[in-house]
Amino acid sequence: MAELNVIAKRANKTIYRDGDKAVKVFDDTFPKSDILNEALNQARVEETGLNIPKLLEVSKKDGQWAIVSEFVEGKTMEQLMDENPDKLEEYMEQFVDLQLEMHSKKCPLLNKLKDKMNRKINITFPVLDATVRYDLLTRLDSMPKHTKLCHGDFNPSNIIVGADGTMSILDWSHATQGNASADAARTYLLFSLKDEKKAELYLNMFCKKSDTAKQYVQQWLPIVAASQLTKSVESEKEFLLKWIDVVDYQ
Amino acid sequence: MAKKETTANVPAIIDSVEALNAKLAAMREAQKVFATYTQEQVDKIFFEAAMAANMMRIPLAKQAVAETGMGVIEDKVIKNHYAAEYIYNAYKSTKTCGVIEEDPAFGIKKVAEPLGLIAAVIPTTNPTSTAIFKTLISLKTRNAIIISPHPRAKDCTIAAAKVVLDAAVKAGAPEGIIGWIDVPSLELTNEVMKAADCILATGGPGMVKAAYSSGKPALGVGAGNTPVIIDDTADVKLAVNSIIHSKTFDNGMICASEQSVTVVGNLYDEVKKEFLARGCYFLKGEELDKVRKTIIINGALNAKIVGQSAYTIAKLAGVNVPETTKILIGEVESVDISEEFAHEKLSPVLAMYKAKDFDDAIAKAEQLVADGGYGHTSSLYIHPAQSEKIAKHAAAMKTCRVLINTPAAQGGIGDLYNFKLAPSLTLGCGSWGGNSVSENVGVKHLINIKTVAERRENMLWFRTPEKVYFKKGCMPVALDELGTIMNKKKAFIVTDTFLYKNGYVHPIEEKLDQMGIQHTCFYDVAPDPTLGCAMEGAKAMKDFEPDTIIALGGGSAMDAAKIMWVLYEHPEADFMRMAMDFMDIRKRVYTFPKMGEKAYFVAIPTSSGTGSEVTPFAIITDEKTGVKYPLADYELMPNMAIVDADNMMSQPKGLTSASGIDVMTHALEAYVSIMATDYTDGLALKAIKNVFKYLPSAYENGAADPIAREKMADAACMAGMAFANAFLGLNHSMAHKLGAFHHLPHGIANAVILTEVIRYNAADVPTKMGTFSQYQYPHAKERYVEIANYMGLCGKNDDETLEMLIQALEDLKAKIGIKKTIRDYGVDEKYFLDTLDDMVEQAFNDQCTGANPRYPLMKEIKELYLKAYYGK
Repeated sequence: MAELNVIAKRANKTIYRDGDKAVKVFDDTFPKSDILNEALNQARVEETGLNIPKLLEVSKKDGQWAIVSEFVEGKTMEQLMDENPDKLEEYMEQFVDLQLEMHSKKCPLLNKLKDKMNRKINITFPVLDATVRYDLLTRLDSMPKHTKLCHGDFNPSNIIVGADGTMSILDWSHATQGNASADAARTYLLFSLKDEKKAELYLNMFCKKSDTAKQYVQQWLPIVAASQLTKSVESEKEFLLKWIDVVDYQ
Repeated sequence: MAKKETTANVPAIIDSVEALNAKLAAMREAQKVFATYTQEQVDKIFFEAAMAANMMRIPLAKQAVAETGMGVIEDKVIKNHYAAEYIYNAYKSTKTCGVIEEDPAFGIKKVAEPLGLIAAVIPTTNPTSTAIFKTLISLKTRNAIIISPHPRAKDCTIAAAKVVLDAAVKAGAPEGIIGWIDVPSLELTNEVMKAADCILATGGPGMVKAAYSSGKPALGVGAGNTPVIIDDTADVKLAVNSIIHSKTFDNGMICASEQSVTVVGNLYDEVKKEFLARGCYFLKGEELDKVRKTIIINGALNAKIVGQSAYTIAKLAGVNVPETTKILIGEVESVDISEEFAHEKLSPVLAMYKAKDFDDAIAKAEQLVADGGYGHTSSLYIHPAQSEKIAKHAAAMKTCRVLINTPAAQGGIGDLYNFKLAPSLTLGCGSWGGNSVSENVGVKHLINIKTVAERRENMLWFRTPEKVYFKKGCMPVALDELGTIMNKKKAFIVTDTFLYKNGYVHPIEEKLDQMGIQHTCFYDVAPDPTLGCAMEGAKAMKDFEPDTIIALGGGSAMDAAKIMWVLYEHPEADFMRMAMDFMDIRKRVYTFPKMGEKAYFVAIPTSSGTGSEVTPFAIITDEKTGVKYPLADYELMPNMAIVDADNMMSQPKGLTSASGIDVMTHALEAYVSIMATDYTDGLALKAIKNVFKYLPSAYENGAADPIAREKMADAACMAGMAFANAFLGLNHSMAHKLGAFHHLPHGIANAVILTEVIRYNAADVPTKMGTFSQYQYPHAKERYVEIANYMGLCGKNDDETLEMLIQALEDLKAKIGIKKTIRDYGVDEKYFLDTLDDMVEQAFNDQCTGANPRYPLMKEIKELYLKAYYGK
């Protein structure tokens, strides 16, 4: 495949454009089960009626696993936010509305968010010691069990805005069903790692529009921070540990 | 021994579900043995365990601080000391084994039993003291206890539990009665909670929630966010130093510790000055924000500041304060949860607010409690004489402990600043905090109390007018008392038109004139007296203001007079409420007004029937709605009854027969009532005998047989006394409705169903019997046989004797001209059948039904009505 067609290149995957198709090619280090899971997630979310690129094919290209979907024309929400800082609030509003629309969907066969977080917390060893993991697991255990469609990586770079303003959500590899506040906490964390102001704008808007108390989202922050910690990004570590090392009353 | 075998299978280290299950099985066995221990054995174990924990208070405190890195050794020593000594002292004499309470008179015994296996979750803030507390109260209550320590404090928690366990076993407790998880994990904690019989969950919200969702009963406690108000009447020195004393205790880790101080009005500066003078630090300018960002991260408490000194926390925040600083105080305005200082801080950091006035301070405190302290503790400093403000504050606080002029940390745990507040390290927060208890948790929460309740019989009574005068010609003698002894001035006579016109009132008026008692007479009472008539009479009474009411007549005049009496004494009386049916006259919802404060009530019967002169009953009809109000209360009992046959001599035949058979029914029903007593039995039997013997002649000969008249007068009064105390039964219930629907005279209505009801009541296997402790088994037949025997009727067996009694009653009815069936009295068949279902339901619901020996089903009442209608 020609280099010209590369849309994005990540550590262990590359995304090409092939006419009206987008082809995500994974390298050999990627577990087969994860690739199939991502494709299955995408297929399942398609069935909810949410506007997302349709899955077309899961195949091997030149001996490597690949997921082929529709290509969606447009700019990412991230680009738009960067290019038009004066319209940030307007975009943020659209962004939150889209997330809330997603949360209104049910997708009963997806993995459970709490199970996923439980696994993530358990693999933070040895960065987090037994005591902190115990507190995190206790916190997670007490969180309400919901079944809303959660993206797991809902951030402006995963939203494509078409010329007519239609928005499409990409990358369903982390999708689960669970508590919308956990999904929002994850989005807030992703913003916070880059831009605290945007993060506050987002959280206030999310809480207002969804009529959720801020503390309710905040209760998830140590958990999503621990989950982010598993990505082992050294520059984030100190920030994340600060978020994790909190206690409730006793 | 079996016990040794099970303990042998238990792994030394509990670090897996399998090991835990083996441990729990062994503990259950141990607890079974422990459950058989006596109070003496348990008290010895409790004593030795408390002594051992007390002895080890310093090493355990040191270990706790070393392991958790939180708190102050010297303060933890106090907590350990408290957990051992105060808990022992509070419960040393408490009975927790076997019979703990007994009341032989009431036949009640309370028996304490252990719950079984207790799961204990122990927090990191008070690990050793909480472990001592929970293990001691478990020992005292013969429970086994398994501890799930927090990983941050597991070594010291286990060490404390081990001290208690070793001492307990040495004193005779079963081995392994206290256990713990050596390698704590959420999985094992959840496992323990599921396996236990009860959970003592002190800990964070996650743990408490886990406890409550385990499906086992849990005593969990919740968050505190203790707001303090310093009123402008408070003693500032006492207030500020109490707060400092409490807030610095173990570096602020007690959950009842003060989190904010709200000072009312102009006292603010003085309070601030005192805080400064005592070594507290007020954060200035951007220091406030630095500390804000340090103590709370994303709305949660920074783990690094918990249980640290003010100096350490300031340093973390990049603020310079003297090393000896006691408390960091932030002067803030918002009580909203978005303000970091409004949170629970588990450290010597305090918020301070200024309130316009006391109400503003309460409003702030209410919000702070809502921010995260529902159900826990609140505190007020105020002049002790300000009881109104204290009450207002207590009413507003949704907290289970409201402390006045008391350091909250030491005050909340009890027995230090108030000696009726139970000492405890587990403080219930009530439903506000999602807890099952709202008080300080103690031994009573770890026992099941069985109540052994023996059958007891109701207290019974015999009530009658204070004076019952009887004998032919006695009336003037009896009335004499009104003047000579009671010194009455004004009498109000109530009677009916017939009696008035025929001169029955004259002898009374004459006697009253002789004694100089003013009098007036209301003679407008008609049969089935109405509320309108009673109100008219009462109005006349109000104008006349009598101190004596004399009711002369049959049931109607006496009933009307009783109602006038009520209206005269209590114009506000509500008939609907007074007429509410009761199951037990002593337990009725509405308390009848007190009677006799304005007037003395004299009842003089002119017919031998109702017995109203000695009963607490009266029936009045609301003529507008047609509703009958049957009133029954001993307040309606006349004060004096005068039974003088001279007033009854010229009763017409019809009245003699109807009221005579009514007397018979009263006496029969009172005798078989579930509330019949020896006291009422004698009266009932004698009344029955009189009626059998004298009614035929009284009916036939009237005034010509004055003895029969007198004996019938006595019978009516005696039967009245019997049923005034033993009440009536189904016969009267049915007769009331038959009279109301088909206008049969009351006595006749009774008579036509009399023998049907007797047969019905006498059944050996009734569908249901009446509910009354004294009524042990269905025995109406025996009772009817007793009556028959007293009449000299004796068959080969009970059934035959019963038939003889029924026959005698039928004969009596025939002799006094009573027809056999309802139909014979001209009641239209179609109308009877159309109204039957209504009549049945109303008869079932009649007040008299409750005392009947057989509890009737409605279909049975219907059958009885039909039999009485057709005569078969």
